[in-house]
Amino acid sequence: MRTRKHALTARAVVGFIAVIGLLAAAGCGSSSSSPPSSKPSAAAVKTSQCGTKPGVTATGSPIPLGVIVTNQPGTSFTDISNMADAYFACVNANGGIKGHPIKYYIETEQTNPAQIAAEAKQLVQTDHVVGIVGNTSIIECSVDSSYWQKLGYDIIDSGIAPECWSTPNSAAVNMGPRYSSDGAVQYALSQHVSRIVFDQSDVPGTGYIAAGPSALAAHAHVPITQFTEPVPISDGDAVAIKEVDAAGPNGAVILNFTPPEALVILQAAQHLGIEDKVKLWGCSTPCNTDFLAQSLGPKWNSKLFVNAELTPPDVTTTPTMRLYKAIYEKYGTSGPNKVSGGIGSFSQMGFTEAEIAVHALETITGPYTVASVNAAFKAVTDFNTGMLCQLWTYGSYSMHIPNNEDYTVTPDNGKMVTAQGCTPISSVDPQIAAYRAVAGTAKTVQ
Amino acid sequence: MPSWQDFQPFIVTGLALGGVYALSGVGMVVLYQATGVVYLAFGAVGAMGALIAWSLINAGAPGWAGWLVCVAFSAAVTLGYGTLFGPPLAKRDPLVKATATLGLLLVLFGVMDLLWTTSGGESRSITLPTDNSGFSVSGVQVDWTQVIGFGLGLAIAAATAVFLRYTKLGTAMRAMANDREITATLGVPVRRVEAAAWLGCGVLAGVAGILLADMVALDATTLTFLVIYTLAAALIARLRSIAFTFLAAIVIGLVQNLLTPISSVGNYNDMTPFVLAAVALLVFSRRSVVSRSREET
Amino acid sequence: MAGTAVAAAGTRQRPAPRRPARGTLARAAVIAALLLFVLLALPQLISLYYVDTMTQVAVYAMVALGLGVLVGRVGLVSLGQVAVLAVGAWVAARLLFATSQPFPLVLLETGLITMAAGTLLGLPALRLRGLYLALITLMFAGAIAIVLDTTNFPNGGHGFLGYNGSLVHIPPIRRPSIAGSDPAYFRYSVVVAVLLFLLAYVHIRTRPGRAWAAIRQSEPAALAAGINTTFYKLWAFALASFITGVAGGVYAGAVHYLYSLDFPAQDSIILFAVVLMGGAYSLWGAVVAALLLELLPAVLNNWGVSADWLTILFGIGVLQVLTTAPAGLADQVPRDLARLGRLLRRLATSGGAREAVK
Repeated sequence: MRTRKHALTARAVVGFIAVIGLLAAAGCGSSSSSPPSSKPSAAAVKTSQCGTKPGVTATGSPIPLGVIVTNQPGTSFTDISNMADAYFACVNANGGIKGHPIKYYIETEQTNPAQIAAEAKQLVQTDHVVGIVGNTSIIECSVDSSYWQKLGYDIIDSGIAPECWSTPNSAAVNMGPRYSSDGAVQYALSQHVSRIVFDQSDVPGTGYIAAGPSALAAHAHVPITQFTEPVPISDGDAVAIKEVDAAGPNGAVILNFTPPEALVILQAAQHLGIEDKVKLWGCSTPCNTDFLAQSLGPKWNSKLFVNAELTPPDVTTTPTMRLYKAIYEKYGTSGPNKVSGGIGSFSQMGFTEAEIAVHALETITGPYTVASVNAAFKAVTDFNTGMLCQLWTYGSYSMHIPNNEDYTVTPDNGKMVTAQGCTPISSVDPQIAAYRAVAGTAKTVQ
Repeated sequence: MPSWQDFQPFIVTGLALGGVYALSGVGMVVLYQATGVVYLAFGAVGAMGALIAWSLINAGAPGWAGWLVCVAFSAAVTLGYGTLFGPPLAKRDPLVKATATLGLLLVLFGVMDLLWTTSGGESRSITLPTDNSGFSVSGVQVDWTQVIGFGLGLAIAAATAVFLRYTKLGTAMRAMANDREITATLGVPVRRVEAAAWLGCGVLAGVAGILLADMVALDATTLTFLVIYTLAAALIARLRSIAFTFLAAIVIGLVQNLLTPISSVGNYNDMTPFVLAAVALLVFSRRSVVSRSREET
Repeated sequence: MAGTAVAAAGTRQRPAPRRPARGTLARAAVIAALLLFVLLALPQLISLYYVDTMTQVAVYAMVALGLGVLVGRVGLVSLGQVAVLAVGAWVAARLLFATSQPFPLVLLETGLITMAAGTLLGLPALRLRGLYLALITLMFAGAIAIVLDTTNFPNGGHGFLGYNGSLVHIPPIRRPSIAGSDPAYFRYSVVVAVLLFLLAYVHIRTRPGRAWAAIRQSEPAALAAGINTTFYKLWAFALASFITGVAGGVYAGAVHYLYSLDFPAQDSIILFAVVLMGGAYSLWGAVVAALLLELLPAVLNNWGVSADWLTILFGIGVLQVLTTAPAGLADQVPRDLARLGRLLRRLATSGGAREAVK
């Protein structure tokens, strides 16, 4: 009798699970649909421009590169690694690096330091990668920086944690939350607001991030109130009210959140009717997506000012920008490594990092080893990525903030348009000052 | 200390959210009364229903169809779970029964993350047509969704109280809470009464799912663990009284929201339900120190 | 719950008659051989990725052990053990940054401090039964998680909290001087784990273990027999908190950097589910639970399979365990294997019989 009950219940369990699965599968499509991307420009660009031998598939011994990105409920940076992968796929289909294809090992993590450390070792010891390109993680730079330093890896990343900018072994293509928030606060200050409210998500590093806006506000003698919110935000109305109250009618509310969370706050403000109760709203670079512009109505035109670390894709038609869009269309819209966010900051970062890596790899004569590849990465100097305000340099410095000039964009009926062109982040932020002291100021090219 | 003016909008959000917690709490309490199960997967079921609704609406279905599917899904899963796992666990400790619902929670949680993966840039949201229309009460904006939240909570609580007291099915549920065995020997169709309780609870889970997805966020983790607030309200009412569940839910909603503008409290206001429930558990359970020993099956 | 539902294998009130020495000796020899293998050979055989993973297995084996003592031996369900782990990690980090005491001493102090905290929290909760106890531990865990979110973990800063938010370089939490490298630290954590398992084993075999068994069987009967149930229940809380606190210290040294994101409330639920699956009663169950919790996800991650499948598996596992196999996998697997063996034998003999008939 016990066996029968066992069998019955086991069957029931399986059946029940199957029912849930069927209901779920029947009832829905799957993950987020990709937002409408910008159509490829009229002057079609051959993706083959990414490589040196158009149409020739690379068949030599592969050059292994690695990447670690966060992918967990609520935070996913896989678009960055997937776009880099798309770029590498393009290069491999068009000659590779002197005939060698790039093999890209993607490790995803869930903000677990033990897992991140283990994955770094996996990449080095098991996958034998010779370079790390594209890391984007809430804590990876902190966890692994001494490991990379010990082994001599110079990372090209899109950073978040403080160590991505403050260590010799990491150079980022983005400005990261602190300097991007600096940019947003700077713009607000330039509009002569009388008070700043800076609200950010409560992930590691809030103090480091807050120090930038605090310094800027103090220098301008404008009072600043700092908040943090646990994410995901569960009461957007409460957060919006709190911010507006603290900012006052001539104040500015500056947000540093991922797009979904920023959207919760902005939409709450709109439906409460309080978005006009402050002088302006600002946001660090994650808000710079068309998806956000579309989800917010026209009420936010010239009301919300977003710091843009990268050249706005919608209004730029340079060959590099068109190549980026073409590669996205051809290699990034299908397959297991689909770039689900479409054209926007994340995929731009992935593209730029891959671009820099390929540019460096192409200068190597001789074998592709950890030493030669990372020496090549560090040797990248004054490179015009076509995606940034300035020329990009790695260099042998003790800290790296190579992207320190930005745009400001604002929504305009569903698209993000430029409100202010390339403007340097102020040296009032002590870290920026320290970097400019060792590296000088790179030339602006946009 | 913020002024009365500053608190006003938070009273509105507090009442609205409290209403939805009340709605959920009533569902939980009725189910516990009829079956002895603390339905910890309440939030997860509603969350998955809301995500399915989102997918349908995103694919072009009309809003009401999506919400209907959400409620139907929640009801079906809850009823299915109750039918499959109710009987084998019926004689076990309430702790075992509650833990089993944790199993359901984990399954749903995993499925939700698999099917509705997070993408870097996008977000999902559910909007109800009542979101954008509202009225002003002494300078504070109130939208119809919030009115519905509070109103439904009140209505469901009242209706359930009446149902439990005056209808045959309700009386049967109350009888089963007292002693399942004796109720069965009295000729009450115990399985059918339980099924009715499961179904009702599932429907409420679906309704709460849509409302919370609209008012809070359409996020699997958030919605799944919002059940803690509901649980706190039900615990304060000792899983017994509908009226107390309603009151406790409103209080929890209010206290948590009213603490928001007080900057010295900061983000500690999220502790409200935990603290209130812990206090309630300690204070109200002082009586039963040694209970009847439960024999293993 | 699982406590009451656990198979009644250990409900003797009097000391059992001594077992034949050979069986115990054989088992001890096997365990010793396995340990030697794990300590000496394993780190050389596997990649650093898996060495790091196995260190986490050692940590969570200790956590599962603590929960197993509570759930399996006494019948008290705690849904907040990951919060206790977080507290242990916090204390260890604070001590490691603030003092230069040797690592083992810090571990001991961490265990004691966490034990004190756990016992204090356990005191008011003791009067609660089964479900309510489980729920209140869940509430405590939720509250602690929110507090830790705001206070953060020590990172070398000053003041009581030891947290400096504006650092551009966060110093790593140090490891013992003899165990700096990953393989060495793995061995160190295994040794610590073995010591704690021994501690739990000694408890179980002596008076506390018998008292716990009596309480789990029937608390009124235990009271009537003169056992001070409050004292022994507190002792169980104290032991579980001590073990989990030390595990927190080992965790801090393993990861070097602590974040409140690493201790979400749902992990306590998953931990409980996995301990149920592994078997709350047997000490091996804790090891099985840790393997499920840490090794399996790492392997799946390597294969590119999403961790969500594991969450689903654990959910199904909980349902299965509660409905059919209360003693968990550690008990079930040997039984299943035995059943499989019997089935194979039957097939073999029936096949042979058929041959004979032909």
